[in-house]
Parts: sequence; structure tokens; C-alpha cells
Amino acid sequence: MANQKPGKDNFTRNLVIAVVVGVVLLMLVPTVLSKRTNSTAAVPASVSAENGYGIVFNGDLTSVPVLDIYEDFQCPICAQFEKMQGDYIESLIKDKKAKVIYHTLSFLGPESINAANAAACSADQNKFLGYHRTLYANQPAENSGAWTNDVLAVLGQATGITSKKFTSCVNNMDYKGWVSNVAAAGAKANVNSTPTVFINGKEIDRKTEYFSADKFKAAVERG
Amino acid sequence: MKKYLPWIGLLARLILGGVLLAAGLLKYQHLDKSQMAVRAYELLPISVANLLGIVLPFIEIAIGILLVIGAAIRISAIVGAALMIAFIIGISQAWARGLSIDCGCFGGGGQVAPGTANYLPELLRDGGLALLAIYLIRYPQSKFGLDRQISNGEKNHG
Repeated sequence: MANQKPGKDNFTRNLVIAVVVGVVLLMLVPTVLSKRTNSTAAVPASVSAENGYGIVFNGDLTSVPVLDIYEDFQCPICAQFEKMQGDYIESLIKDKKAKVIYHTLSFLGPESINAANAAACSADQNKFLGYHRTLYANQPAENSGAWTNDVLAVLGQATGITSKKFTSCVNNMDYKGWVSNVAAAGAKANVNSTPTVFINGKEIDRKTEYFSADKFKAAVERG
Repeated sequence: MKKYLPWIGLLARLILGGVLLAAGLLKYQHLDKSQMAVRAYELLPISVANLLGIVLPFIEIAIGILLVIGAAIRISAIVGAALMIAFIIGISQAWARGLSIDCGCFGGGGQVAPGTANYLPELLRDGGLALLAIYLIRYPQSKFGLDRQISNGEKNHG
């Protein structure tokens, strides 16, 4: 031991350091690039980059409040929010009282990506709201393996979507690129929690306004 | 005492390196959430926070691996100490400003329901890890590391 020359293993050591740092850097670069917005990704109907790639309802209305709803289909609190405010938000859309933009984030894992993709497929069939409701009503535990594309397609049929195009759109993940664009836009909008609701670009009060029917309604009407 | 230093060094390396490696790998699996966690500290401009959310897990993984195999111990420990001190500053300012966030230390992160944030254990843990890192900067010699000339060369030290 004591007669070992200092620096004897320097070559191996430096090689190992170079390999570790090199491999990590090689993985980092494509990861950073993959988080950039892909402007050539296919987008579902009613979607545009100006609205943060969200699914837009009543996009033609002016002088009504604009609701940006950021959610993840796997998020349990989003399911509670949907239960509490879903009917009201749908009535706002139906009665043309507000412009509503759904941003389907996917930070909870691969099944959130599947669900967001499937929701985009349902938007092409004009069934987004119904499918949205079905997904929350059948929300499994996070990443339990329940939301495979096959199951998501069946849930579509349960919502009354009969088109074969929907099934192939779900199974082929046609809107995968769009899903990551939505995520990137949400990151740029500083959304740090789901659900997050912006009314006319301003977040409503997290302490009081999300889970009270009256206060949420007041916030929408205040605009 | 000198005889035991390399064993303490080994333990410090494995704990600090293991924690960094685990934290980095968990964050790597959910990079969107990692970006969200950094943004939620409300300390950096959004674009910088988003970039850091991607880069940080990679730094943690690299430093974690280097510490576990015992290569470039002193430099890795300096980076590790810098990370821990940055985390302590981030968490402390979040606490002081009354933000309700998950530290996002091991994946997760973002805002949490008001009143459920729990900052003290996180600060104590990061403080302990910072001390380990500082120990390794001062005494980088340790058993079973690739930095042979240091681990065996007590002549380099003292």
C-alpha cells in the first residue's frame, strides 16, 4: 500500500470521470431539445399556438371572460374540481358565456400522456367535453397501468364516439407531439400545480375560489 | 484517528452520492414536474427555472455516480456542497415568504395546499448532507475509491 506511487491509477480514474460526465452530457442535450416546442406536430381541431396549444371552446366570442384551465387527467384534485365545477363550466360553454381553453398537462406520467392524446382525438370528433367527463369519472390510481390506449379507446366508445379514426388516433398516439407542446406552453405560463385556472390571464385565489361553487362563479362573473 | 478517516470518507461518499443519485434519477423520470418544482420557488425567471429543472437532475446524477465510485471526490464534493447550500437557500426563502410548495427534492414538486408544506425536515436533511460534503472537501481520502493517490496517500494530507 504505502509503496504505491501516487497517481498510479490516474488514467483509469480520469477515463471513468470523462465517461460519466460525457454520457450525462450526451443525454442532456437531446432532452433539452425535446422540451422545445415542435411547431410541426399535428394539432387537434380548434387548437392554436396563440392559446398555448389548449383545446378552445367559443374561440370566436369576444367581450366574455376567458378561462384557461390547466389540468392533468390523472390528478385526483382535478377530478374533484371537475366534480365541483364541471357542470358550471360546461354550461358557460353551452350558453356562450365564456371562452374556455383546456390545457391537458401530462406531468404525472406516461398515462397522463396517453389520456391527453386521447382527449385530443376526442376533440376531433367534437366529443371533448363528454370524454373529459368520462375520463375523470373513471380515473384510476396514478400510473397504475389502467389507462392503456386500448382502455382509453373503449372509454371513448362508452362516451358515444363510434369513429374508427378515433381508435386509430388513440392507438397511434397521433397527438403525442402536441401533448408535449401543451406541457411546454404550460411551463412558460408558470403553471406549478393542477388544477390551475386563469380568468382573463390572472390566476384565481388558490385558498378560496377553486372549491367553492359560489366563489368560483363570482370569480368568473367578475372577469 | 487517521486510520478511521478513510472509512468515514467512504460512508460520507456513499450517503451523499447515493442521495444525489436517487434524487436525480427520480427527477429525471418526470422532467415536467422537475421544471415545475424549480418554478414554484419563485426565485428565478421562468425560462431560467425551466432550463434548470431539466439540467439539475443530470448534474445530480453525474455527481452522485462520481461520489459513489469515488472519482474526483473533492470536486464532486464541492459541487455537492454548492447544491445543498443552494437548496437550503431556496427552501428557506420559500418558508420565509410563506410559499406553500413541495421542495421537489426527490421528484414531485410544485405548489401544495396551503399549510401542508413541511420545510424543517427538508432543511435539516440538506444541512446534514452539506456537512458531509464539507467533510469530504476537507478529507477526501476514503476507502474503495478510484481516487487512489488520495485514498492511500496520507502523505498528501497532514
